[in-house]
Amino acid sequence: MFSKLALRNVRRSFRDYGVYLLTLTFGVCLFYTFNSIDGQGAMAYLSRNKNPMVEPIMMLVDIFSVFVAVVLACLILYANRFLLRRRKRELGTYLLLGLSQGQVSRLLFLETGLIGIVSLAAGLALGVAASFGMSALTLSMFEINVSGMLALTFSPKAAGKTALYFGVIFLLVMALSGVQVSKSKLIDLIHGERKNEVLKPRPLGVAVFQFVLGVICLLAAYAILLIFGMALAVAIPFLCFPMLGLGTLGTLLIFRSLSGFVMKFVQSRPGLYFRDLHVFTLRQWISKVHTTYLAQTVVCILLLLAIGITASSLGLNSTLSAMTDGEAPFDITVQNQSGDTELIDFDALFRAGGFDPEEKLAWSYDTVFYYNEKEVTGIEDASGAIRVSDYDALMVRQGQSAYAGPLPALLEWQEEDKLATGNLGLACVVIPDDMAGQLEPRRQVWSADYSPEDKEGTERQLLELVLPLRERLSVRPETRLSIYADMVGNKILALFLGLYLGFTFLLAAAAVLALQQLSQGADNTGRYAVLRRLGAEEKQMKRSAVQQVALAFLLPLALALVHSAVGMKAANDIIATAGRIDSAASSLVTAGVLLAVYGGYFLATALACGRMAKNA
Amino acid sequence: MAEILTVTDLKKVYGKGGSLTRALDGVSLSLEAGEFVGVMGPSGSGKTTLLNCVSTIDRPSAGSIVIDGRELTKLKGRELAKFRRERLGFIFQDCNLLDTLTAYENIALSLSIIRAPAQKIDRRVREMAGLLGISDCLDKYPYQMSGGQQQRCAAARAMVTRPALVLADEPTGALDSKSSQLLLDRLDELNRELGATILMVTHDAFTASCCRKVVFLRDGQIFLELHRENDSRKAFFKKIIQVVTAMGGGMADVL
Repeated sequence: MFSKLALRNVRRSFRDYGVYLLTLTFGVCLFYTFNSIDGQGAMAYLSRNKNPMVEPIMMLVDIFSVFVAVVLACLILYANRFLLRRRKRELGTYLLLGLSQGQVSRLLFLETGLIGIVSLAAGLALGVAASFGMSALTLSMFEINVSGMLALTFSPKAAGKTALYFGVIFLLVMALSGVQVSKSKLIDLIHGERKNEVLKPRPLGVAVFQFVLGVICLLAAYAILLIFGMALAVAIPFLCFPMLGLGTLGTLLIFRSLSGFVMKFVQSRPGLYFRDLHVFTLRQWISKVHTTYLAQTVVCILLLLAIGITASSLGLNSTLSAMTDGEAPFDITVQNQSGDTELIDFDALFRAGGFDPEEKLAWSYDTVFYYNEKEVTGIEDASGAIRVSDYDALMVRQGQSAYAGPLPALLEWQEEDKLATGNLGLACVVIPDDMAGQLEPRRQVWSADYSPEDKEGTERQLLELVLPLRERLSVRPETRLSIYADMVGNKILALFLGLYLGFTFLLAAAAVLALQQLSQGADNTGRYAVLRRLGAEEKQMKRSAVQQVALAFLLPLALALVHSAVGMKAANDIIATAGRIDSAASSLVTAGVLLAVYGGYFLATALACGRMAKNA
Repeated sequence: MAEILTVTDLKKVYGKGGSLTRALDGVSLSLEAGEFVGVMGPSGSGKTTLLNCVSTIDRPSAGSIVIDGRELTKLKGRELAKFRRERLGFIFQDCNLLDTLTAYENIALSLSIIRAPAQKIDRRVREMAGLLGISDCLDKYPYQMSGGQQQRCAAARAMVTRPALVLADEPTGALDSKSSQLLLDRLDELNRELGATILMVTHDAFTASCCRKVVFLRDGQIFLELHRENDSRKAFFKKIIQVVTAMGGGMADVL
């Protein structure tokens, strides 16, 4: 009997409270996707290369997950409270019919459990798809060879964790709804629909003043950003805090006063003011501003952050390869810091180990760095010396021109960076070849580029042969692949956590906005009934309802777009220095998903509110 | 005088199969232009059903309703909404003003719904507000006004579109006697000066006594029609009370 009633109630919830289920499902999906990252895409790549970033990333995701779970729990509790408030009368009827409060609590318990199971299943299914999408996204973003890493996988561990966390949340919801039912008085439940709404008259003149002030604040913030540029404005607290403060205050003021400002404007145009249900729509907007403007400001800032994350990932890939090229001119460099005692014959070493350098290496070069002697070179502030022919060989390999200046001469540090993958840590002098005879060898530096096929295999074999040398010599190998993987690790950390938090906040904000609109929509049914009696057409009322939802949802988006357009303009020079923008596709995908989540909430809310107006 | 409302043999049946409820059982009624008619009757006599059918909110099971020469039962969807907003005006017990709009905007809204030209709206709203004595609270919100002012504002909203027929459902039901009196005086004045046709459903004999004609309903049928003729209001009130008493115990809740 109870389960039948619960089942029917849940079925009804599907229709009426789509937003609640949407939030639960998105929450589960988000949680699963980020907790299953260890087995997917770029993370799989990192762990295959034994990247040290894997552990911290997983640890941080774990910590963030707790935080995200708390946010989602608050959100779900808020949504549930909203649901219960809407159902007060129904619950009161159950009590009136003679069900005990324990039985009503049990009914709610069953319902929450049912909704929980449904949303968990739907969320996990969506999560598997989402984590596949994220694999593809990260793999394409870092130009990693896709073979064998892109697969539709299900992570039982992540699923278990998701089920555990959400199980706890649902239990909490069940417990709290039980408490709420047992605490409430029957009379309050029966008369739950009655409410005292306090409407204070707010002079429109004040709104106009606030709006102008808000615009001035925003313009000032924009001016700081555009005049000083992104780099300065963010780095200097003296500029950064006033900018962020003014920006936030301006946004807040605009959301608070825009309705009044528009009202004042429209009132002076009777043709517009008295057309259709404009008066009604505007007045509705104004009367709700004080409950929505804070949420709208938060949503606007979150949208800005989300757009910002997307935009910064635009230049990510290109900055990555630019940085790797700077730090790793060759596929591998092995530094023998015991060069003053023993020089290694790499060729012989490899051949003895069954490694054919001719076949596996496209290019290799052995360089000896010498101790710099002031008496010989005439230069004091240097710790090492390199023969000009060695220098030329290394530079020509990178497509740079040979050395053309006077000899001997001290190298710029940028030039010195190009001599090896990884750090040399030597201030070098370029010397004529014949001068080397008068100097002592200091360090042996062997660099090589692999043959195009199976670079990873080649690297593994090389390292297997080189690393045992450490037993008697100070040998330090560094490879482009490991440096690249390090950077990928850092970027992925930032990207994952950014997206994780960004989506969580977006979800929370959109859901709060949607619930607010829905509860207002339900409050409005009486008003729509009056309009219907006055002879307003269904289409007009539906349009007015959708307009009200659109104002709540699209204004923050519009302002966030303006903000980010200004931000982009300021950041343009930074992005331009990073070079090519070739991950536009993946950024578009991210932006698309963000908009889909937000748009999904908008559509669900608009449809529900439109339906409420129609059925009023 | 021209007939504004003609109701012929109106029937409304609720329920199906064996358990039929005849809310209206062959009611015929006619209103001439400029008449002020009251409908009285005990709970369950069919007053509200009659009003709902006339106001196009509900559809009758049989019979015809003709308002201003148009057969209501043949109108559909948009035509119905159009007819409702252009030819009918409503005053409810719980005046039903939109709480987010000022009094002025409430009255103006019904004009924008009938798509009245914007430049005429202001003049018509102020004119009507003057007639109902609410000129000085036009910029107030409903919760800033007294119940009587709200109800007069609702009356202004119903009348400002100059409807062929104004339907009032217990307009004084939620008002104290002084406010009721004020509202009724104003309705009477509108009836005389603008020639507005008003059909008012009420429980209250005193409220009914300001009408020109009172129709008594019982069990879905017309029990009696009482005309005021040249009686004073007091005399008419006494007549009404006599009928109410004659109708029996069903009307015990009247006084």
